Amino acid sequence: MAEMEPVNIILWTKEGEADGGLQFVQSLANAYTELHPNVTFEVVNKEVEALREDFQTAALAGTSPDLLWTVNDHAGPFTAAELIMPVDDLFDLSLYVDAALEAAKLDGKTWGVPIANGNHLMLLYNKSLIEEAPADTDALIAAATDLKAQDIVPLVWNQTEPFWLVPWLGGFGGKVFADDGVTPTLDTPEMVSTLQLLYDLKFKEEVYPAESDYDGSDTLFKEGKAAMIINGDWSLGGYADIFGDDLGVARIPKISGADWPRPYTAGTYFMIPSALEGSDRLATVVDFVKFATSANNQALMIAKLNRLPALKAALDDPLVTSSPILKGSADQMVVGTPMPTVLEMRCNWDAMKPEMQAVLNDTKTPEEAAAAMQQAADACILTLE
Amino acid sequence: MTFEVITSSLGQVGSTVLFILVGTILLEILIYLIMGKVLKSRYTLPAMLLGPGIVGLAALIVYPLLWELNLSFTNMSLRRFGDKAEYTWLVCQAADPAAINSWLFDCLLKNYADVFRLPVLKQVYFFPVFFRTILWTFINLVFHLLGGLGLAMLLNRPMRGRALYRTLLILPWAIPQVIAVLAWRGEFNFEYGFPNIMLTQIGLEPVKWLTDPTWNFIAMCMVNIWLGIPFMMVILLGGLQSISREYYEAAEIDGAGGWGQFRNITLPLLQPVMTPAIILGTIWTFNNFNVPFFINQFELETSDILVTALFRAAFQYNRYGFSAAFAFVIFIILLLYSIFYIHVTGTLKEVKL
Repeated sequence: MAEMEPVNIILWTKEGEADGGLQFVQSLANAYTELHPNVTFEVVNKEVEALREDFQTAALAGTSPDLLWTVNDHAGPFTAAELIMPVDDLFDLSLYVDAALEAAKLDGKTWGVPIANGNHLMLLYNKSLIEEAPADTDALIAAATDLKAQDIVPLVWNQTEPFWLVPWLGGFGGKVFADDGVTPTLDTPEMVSTLQLLYDLKFKEEVYPAESDYDGSDTLFKEGKAAMIINGDWSLGGYADIFGDDLGVARIPKISGADWPRPYTAGTYFMIPSALEGSDRLATVVDFVKFATSANNQALMIAKLNRLPALKAALDDPLVTSSPILKGSADQMVVGTPMPTVLEMRCNWDAMKPEMQAVLNDTKTPEEAAAAMQQAADACILTLE
Repeated sequence: MTFEVITSSLGQVGSTVLFILVGTILLEILIYLIMGKVLKSRYTLPAMLLGPGIVGLAALIVYPLLWELNLSFTNMSLRRFGDKAEYTWLVCQAADPAAINSWLFDCLLKNYADVFRLPVLKQVYFFPVFFRTILWTFINLVFHLLGGLGLAMLLNRPMRGRALYRTLLILPWAIPQVIAVLAWRGEFNFEYGFPNIMLTQIGLEPVKWLTDPTWNFIAMCMVNIWLGIPFMMVILLGGLQSISREYYEAAEIDGAGGWGQFRNITLPLLQPVMTPAIILGTIWTFNNFNVPFFINQFELETSDILVTALFRAAFQYNRYGFSAAFAFVIFIILLLYSIFYIHVTGTLKEVKL
């Protein structure tokens, strides 16, 4: 019986321990092992960028993991290097939410099975420190003045990753690509306005601290030292556990004089390494993916992690329709914009990162930074070829 | 579970281990037959004893180096990943001839030329990173030597609790480096780190250790100086203890003062110990990855030294062919430095038999 051969599946996930994501992945793996005692799992957590870098390196060395649980824009580099396989023929994709599938499509094929729909940033606030979310940036500045008087940090967010910059760019009506979807457009008036706004909120209005990366922001918010945080749907579960009804979820404040910030939406996806092509482990991996995205487990995910499901059947779950947290999350998605998946997006991310930091460290002006972003992205596009 | 992990790990290194085993056996047979039976050389046994080492070095150093050299002539990137990579001179033949000014620099050695022509990361070019690396190496080495020598001189005399002092001073060296560096990184936090808390307590402005380019570089240096002094101290203390007291007694009779004794006895006699320590220290500091990479939490390009820039170019920006060339450029710089240093100081002459 091939069915009973012992199989060990190595699963790399971007879900971290701090927000309960890793524990959830591990619980799914354990539940599967209970049903199929011959299948064991090694669940490895890697930070999003580390997961991408390590997977590319491991694939080159011929030591890929068996399954990835990651974000959609990894599909770009992974398909360019032919490291993952299309999933169209392996699953009945009609069961999943279209918007989530759309974000994993490239060249007419689907490269990931959606687990959660969203992965978008939003404004989360601690109701014991601030009663309601500021509606726009002017209100944010006003609220910040009050909070600072009480020695509370008004707002924290990850100032190291451009994923936190793109919502504001969208609010000014800017896009990172031209209409062809592959030519970077970073040196634009919209980008300059975005950088200027982030600069002003930091240095003029002192709305957020001098330094904060992901973990630093997360800690300040969890310890009740910061009133608001801009963070993604992946953090909802962890915060709901800590704050309970004190956790408020709202849209990122509207830019006064412009529009709502448009965070990137996509989701989290299972991706299957091409190394599994023709391997007898493939059947096990496919079966586990079906199990992990079944209606029951989607309902568990909604309850535990407060994420919007990617399975159509789970959308009618009363949890989705009644939870204020998920309502807020869904409301933010309304003004979201799909995250580009193409490989060229890597160039945009890598070009934006140092320049955004330079503006936030006060070492470059927004104009200089936007020009440098464009130059770096253009140079990067050339190196892709 | 663990058994699975062990077998899969063995499977991954198995081919290398097998190569070394089979290669060693073949080489030994060859040496034995050719040198021993045919040539009847008296060096047969030494050659046979060296055999396993030669095979091991070939598998673990020579082969990767050749693989890397081969990679440095290709255009490997994400779109040309693994076996899809082509040699730059082949790509060149298909390109527009008008765009090629020099076959040597635009085709054959394109990656090597690009190291100097294009930014090695997103904004910084090779030479600024190179000079920063030299500055980084110089600052660290001077402080390592001064601190290490100073402490070694203090410890090199009879006193109470010497063992305790020595243990305490070696502590930074004993902690796993990454853990020590990450602990330091936490302490450089703008609001909650102890240097800034101390600065604000005495009424000074807090320092942006992690986000300001200059201060971040200073932070890197501080951590590495703290980490590097114990090594120098231990090495130099060993050197000091091997200098006979008689020299100093004779010098005192001749009326030499403390400084005179230090200049004319201690320094020259420490030279054989100091030189290898300096060469090693330079290469270690020049190639120190952990401290610049981890203290530079915000990935400032202004804090990157050559090795960290190389890592980012290869594994964050996926410019594999380019990075292989970049790695060779760094290797050649260090090779030239070592040859030059050994030549000038003539240190290794002493070990000639």
